[in-house]
Amino acid sequence: MTERSSLFSLSRRRLLITTSVAAAAGAIATATGFNPALAADTPRDGGDITFLIDSLGDTWIPNNSAISSFQGHIWGHVTDKLLYVDADGKVSPWLAERWEQNDQATEFTLYLKNGVTFSDGSPLDASAVVANLDIWYAGRKNEGINPIGLFPKTYDHAEAIDASTVKVHFKKPTLGFIPTLGYHGSILISPKSIAQPASQQADLSKTSGSGPYVVDSWKEGDFVKLVKRKDYKWGPAAVGHTGPAFLDSITYKLVSEPSLRVASVQSNQADIAYNASPQELKSLKDEGFTIATPRYLGFVNGWAVNTKLAPYDDVKVRQALQAGINRQEIIDTVYTPDWKLATSFIQSNVPGATDQSGLLAYDPQKAEKLLDEAGWAKGADGIRTKDGKQLSLTIHSNPYLATSKSVDELIAQQLGKIGWKVTIRAYDVVTFGEKVRFGGAAVPAYEVTRSFIDAGTVASILTNANNGENWFALDDRDATLNGLRDRIAGAASFDERNPLLDELQHYVLEQGYFIPRTQIVQRIYVQSPTLRGEVYNGVAYASYYTAHIVD
Amino acid sequence: MNNAYLTYAAKRLGQAVVVILLAYVFTFVVVSILPGDPITSVLRNPQNGFSEQEIAEIIAAQGLDKPIVVQLWNALSGFLTGDLGISMRSGRPVVTLIAEVLPSTLILASAGLAVALVLAMVVAYGTRFVPKRYGQGLLRGFPSLFLSVPNFVIGLVLIHVFGFQIGLFRVINPDSFWATLFAAIALGIPVSAQIAEVLIANLDREAEQEYAAVARSRGIGPARLFATHLLKPASLPVVTVVALTIGELLGGSLITETVFGRTGVGSLVQRSVSTQDLPVLQAVVSLGAVVFVLVNLIADLLYPLLDPRVKLLGGSKRRPTTTDEASIGTTKVATP
Repeated sequence: MTERSSLFSLSRRRLLITTSVAAAAGAIATATGFNPALAADTPRDGGDITFLIDSLGDTWIPNNSAISSFQGHIWGHVTDKLLYVDADGKVSPWLAERWEQNDQATEFTLYLKNGVTFSDGSPLDASAVVANLDIWYAGRKNEGINPIGLFPKTYDHAEAIDASTVKVHFKKPTLGFIPTLGYHGSILISPKSIAQPASQQADLSKTSGSGPYVVDSWKEGDFVKLVKRKDYKWGPAAVGHTGPAFLDSITYKLVSEPSLRVASVQSNQADIAYNASPQELKSLKDEGFTIATPRYLGFVNGWAVNTKLAPYDDVKVRQALQAGINRQEIIDTVYTPDWKLATSFIQSNVPGATDQSGLLAYDPQKAEKLLDEAGWAKGADGIRTKDGKQLSLTIHSNPYLATSKSVDELIAQQLGKIGWKVTIRAYDVVTFGEKVRFGGAAVPAYEVTRSFIDAGTVASILTNANNGENWFALDDRDATLNGLRDRIAGAASFDERNPLLDELQHYVLEQGYFIPRTQIVQRIYVQSPTLRGEVYNGVAYASYYTAHIVD
Repeated sequence: MNNAYLTYAAKRLGQAVVVILLAYVFTFVVVSILPGDPITSVLRNPQNGFSEQEIAEIIAAQGLDKPIVVQLWNALSGFLTGDLGISMRSGRPVVTLIAEVLPSTLILASAGLAVALVLAMVVAYGTRFVPKRYGQGLLRGFPSLFLSVPNFVIGLVLIHVFGFQIGLFRVINPDSFWATLFAAIALGIPVSAQIAEVLIANLDREAEQEYAAVARSRGIGPARLFATHLLKPASLPVVTVVALTIGELLGGSLITETVFGRTGVGSLVQRSVSTQDLPVLQAVVSLGAVVFVLVNLIADLLYPLLDPRVKLLGGSKRRPTTTDEASIGTTKVATP
């Protein structure tokens, strides 16, 4: 800190800011009889902050952008949700004050808070909620408005019982519906905005939500400036504040160069830099900056193994892969202690996640023994062969995760020691999608980074049931997995479902279908020490609704 | 003369229109044959959870299932009537997107050009007045130096020194005066190299002409000689180089905009390339072609008027880049 201040002590601009802030503070103190004793307890009103982000995504059509890692930040301030899901996946009331469900988990009744309005003046009532549920489920595809992919496909219809009561019907048991309402795409938009054609919806300033901030101005690919809504009084109780936000404005500014984002915060030109490199974090922390590395609810970072491709059709080879990776070394070498060891294939903060660490322990002897048993013998060059073929693994580094390639390189070394020949390929986003993500029949392991709403949906993603993604290319070959999937989907209560989820996690890891690397931190925040009180939700987005500036 | 000039102008105009149309078709073909299909790569994202039938419906709704020739025809007829379509990425009209970013780029590019011209003048003037032992040779090396330092390096150095350390401008406010000035310097330095190179070569040549020797023998000082005798003839070829520099300015603005956090045509291109946003790319590249062709057309039409020695060869032969053939090799032409 001392070094930093001396470096910039000559800055005229900084001096000016300091004096003007002091003058403004003085003015407030005299005008309102400001009591310094209260200052510690009551966050100060006012202040403008700048958030530097690496992209502002593709489109602002709410359905198409609400699940984006970039627009999610803005939607989180401009819109509200029916329920609140915190960083531990705990669901609590928000605009839905309470809810009921039938025994089969096929019908849900939501009771809405009264007096909530969208920023265009229209009320947030039952019919507005029905309009939102309908478009989340169906979209308007011919116009290019997508359905929200995470929304339950089992949705049948919703009806407004009265102005503040909504009843939602499903074709099959849908335990995940309630958590879905607090997540990602489920942002409430004014019915007037929903009725607009896609080209109008794509104009951020023409979309109204009921959130604590409204869009003041924006420019595509440049910035979005949000200003506080003074009549806001329906924040989620879970964050400990329900009135208007404290900060006057939040400006999201696009700066694509990572070092510039961090340097701007260091030189006091901005308040938050998003997505800094993990290597910089320690020194930034030492300089006094707040570093946040919240985890989101979802899958850990790891590989989904293609069980159709030899030699990964052999369970012993997959198990050797599971045991041959030293996960602690990944954290020690590539990351910082802020990153956590994977304990399952889903993140440990997901409700229903269980600790399967025993299956993920680093055990090179065990791995070598498994490979010996599978008939892969070590040659003179240290590479194992069987029937004249080398034991090879081609990894495609995930272009969405900056650190992916460094982790790949480390794993290549680790596996190399037990006789694997590992090749690393790095593609750009478009090529990666084309060759690995959507058509990769020859890809032995696809690197996953995904968040999800509810652990119950996991089982059907892993298999091919109901348009499922069939991650391990098992099709219908694994009766155990399919059985678990059906029982999880049909479960009507969490008490019934949780043991099944535990069984699923154990089975998938024990079979070596999924090879976890680390728990994923996809959002890294470097924040000025004068900004305090922000909250991270279940998708690891920072909300500055509760944040304030300290002097 | 008048008649000949009109024929020449008409031919050059015709050529310009053909070049623009060809650029449009060429871009369309190149973007269409690129690997990867932008629409399906978005739709097939597992998070969207679309079925194959739904994907097919969406593609049909956008007219992307039609043969490529039909798509080209639709795009081309739209282009000719001023309808540039809807951006695939953002869902907003392409015209709106371009209108939003164009002013920032125009300001940056013209400021960059101004910086380049001033710098080139200063360097060229210096080579005439700074004696050899005080570093004339060093000055003559400047153009090569300017050309060899990448403009993002210059940009990053400027930002760190003037933005972060001295605090003259903020990354958050890239359209402010100081931020624009430093962005223009970063952009203008490499561009000035070509102009300075041609200017120096021509000044050297003019200085050896008989009229200069006569002027000197009459006792005219070097400053007056430069201003009244050398500068005008030496500057004529600069018009050509400046016209060719437009491409460099447009290309350089992409990098400069990224480094300085400015949102202009360059950053629009960058986003559109990474998402294969065909309608936007199409429009921006065509716009680049239009600007490039127009500027060169103006230069072509002006040149014969400025310098009566230039022969009007119709459209069959381009104007001379410079009358000194040897210096042609030092100019670099960038495509937009």
